[in-house]
Amino acid sequence: MNRRGFLQLVGATGAAALAASCNRMNSVVGILSSPSDLARFPEKEEMILLTDRPPQLETPLHYFRQDLTPNEAFFVRWHLEGIPTSVDLRTFRVNVSGHVRQPLQLSVDDLRSQFQPSSIIAVNQCSGNSRSFFEPRVPGGQWKHGAVGNAKWTGVHVKSILDRAQVKSGAVDVSFNGLDAPPLPSVADFVKALSIEHARDGEVMIAYAMNDQPLPMVNGFPLRLVVPGWYGTYWVKALSDITVLPQPFSNFWTDKAYRIPSGPNGTESPKDLAKDTVPINRFNVRSIFVRPDPDEMLHPGMRIEIEGVAFDSGYGIRRVEVSTDGGASWADARLDPEIGKYSWRRWRASWTPRNRGQFRLMARATNAVGDAQSKEQWNRSGFMWNVIQQVDVKVE
Amino acid sequence: MTPKTKSLVLSLGLATLVAGCGRPSNVSKETDQGIANAKMESTSDLKPDSKADNPVHTIVMPHDEPLFPPGPGRDEFVTACVVCHSPRYITMQPRFSQATWLGEVNKMKDTYGAHISDEQVLRITDYVFAINGKAGTGHKGAYGE
Repeated sequence: MNRRGFLQLVGATGAAALAASCNRMNSVVGILSSPSDLARFPEKEEMILLTDRPPQLETPLHYFRQDLTPNEAFFVRWHLEGIPTSVDLRTFRVNVSGHVRQPLQLSVDDLRSQFQPSSIIAVNQCSGNSRSFFEPRVPGGQWKHGAVGNAKWTGVHVKSILDRAQVKSGAVDVSFNGLDAPPLPSVADFVKALSIEHARDGEVMIAYAMNDQPLPMVNGFPLRLVVPGWYGTYWVKALSDITVLPQPFSNFWTDKAYRIPSGPNGTESPKDLAKDTVPINRFNVRSIFVRPDPDEMLHPGMRIEIEGVAFDSGYGIRRVEVSTDGGASWADARLDPEIGKYSWRRWRASWTPRNRGQFRLMARATNAVGDAQSKEQWNRSGFMWNVIQQVDVKVE
Repeated sequence: MTPKTKSLVLSLGLATLVAGCGRPSNVSKETDQGIANAKMESTSDLKPDSKADNPVHTIVMPHDEPLFPPGPGRDEFVTACVVCHSPRYITMQPRFSQATWLGEVNKMKDTYGAHISDEQVLRITDYVFAINGKAGTGHKGAYGE
């Protein structure tokens, strides 16, 4: 029986009416849920539900028509069942410890009042964004293109905090832990690390505001690490502990998880898996169609504005080309002004289809150092998707 | 799973659903598509600006009560897996092969320390394959997806 059949059955038995008086959040579709289920979590708009516990929520595409992704629609991805749901700002502290002369315990007010504030517009993208497009399919969060967002982050550079803590000589890595907790003692706590040079580069930041508002709890309230140009796995949420280490950091989430083949663009063959892997790091270059929607009505002779976003790890987008004939010919898209090197950049192209029929739209971005999008790509974890996107539209 | 079993599953599930009633609902119906769809909504929804007034910021996560079709290994699945994650971690995946699912369940035991025996690994694999499997699909997974 399909979903519709089931629901007809439900309707026939009048059970829908009973269900409608329920208090709990039962999934009527339950185990047969389709990937297009929508869910509304606290402080969030309706989003695409991948999983509820721990939550993974994808941003609906239409939000990418705005340069800054609204906090209420920004994607959500947690690893561990024990996510923070309550924070008392009177007692919350971020602890700075380890290989430092002056350990610190800083409240959010301390960060706001004692340090120079700084803002940056930066894309945050899940390592597994677009995973559902890999063939053969791989296990993991089955994201389409919405595990990404662009926001203005405001906070304090990690460098300023480390300077106050007086890092001792011989520091190697800095680890970052959040308030989330594993459900079993055998599950590794989610902790990530950056090299001391990276942590002190004057760009890595602890954000207390996102688009000039406090962060939603499920996006990391009250503090989140911002690592411009790097995948979201490093952007530790509900950041509570910064530890300076005199030796390389090692844990499951770095040694075993979030690794990519060491070759170009993290690619390998399903039949010949790479032996050497490295921790995932900077974004590759990619673009995402925002318009037209796959189900938008297009007519012969009607001009439409094709639109999308493109970004990389901070070199900057130099060129976006668009094809309306499945890649046979390409024309340059117009680029909106840059609003920040770590922001995405909007591109537009006008198109007036002459005839009825099926058309394959494609877009390919190139960055300032000449990196271009992939024609094909695969890896066992479904990371770093940047294959030239194809959108099939119907003109009628 | 045969259509008949599925329909039985859903009827049973429905009974569970009805039994769990109490407060007002957030189950909505998308009549335009002829599809009723469960939408999860939070029971408490603080506005961002209320954070300024109250130093204690709290949210209440929505509670999803999933339905578990009967099948081989269902008891093991409900006991061992749902402690750490909801069954959507299975149902959001493509219909993977038995070998791919076995790899995933073994990863839960060996890497994340799920409290299950080798025998239970096989039973749970049978269950997730029964509810979301298809022969000859997918590639063995890695970590941290």
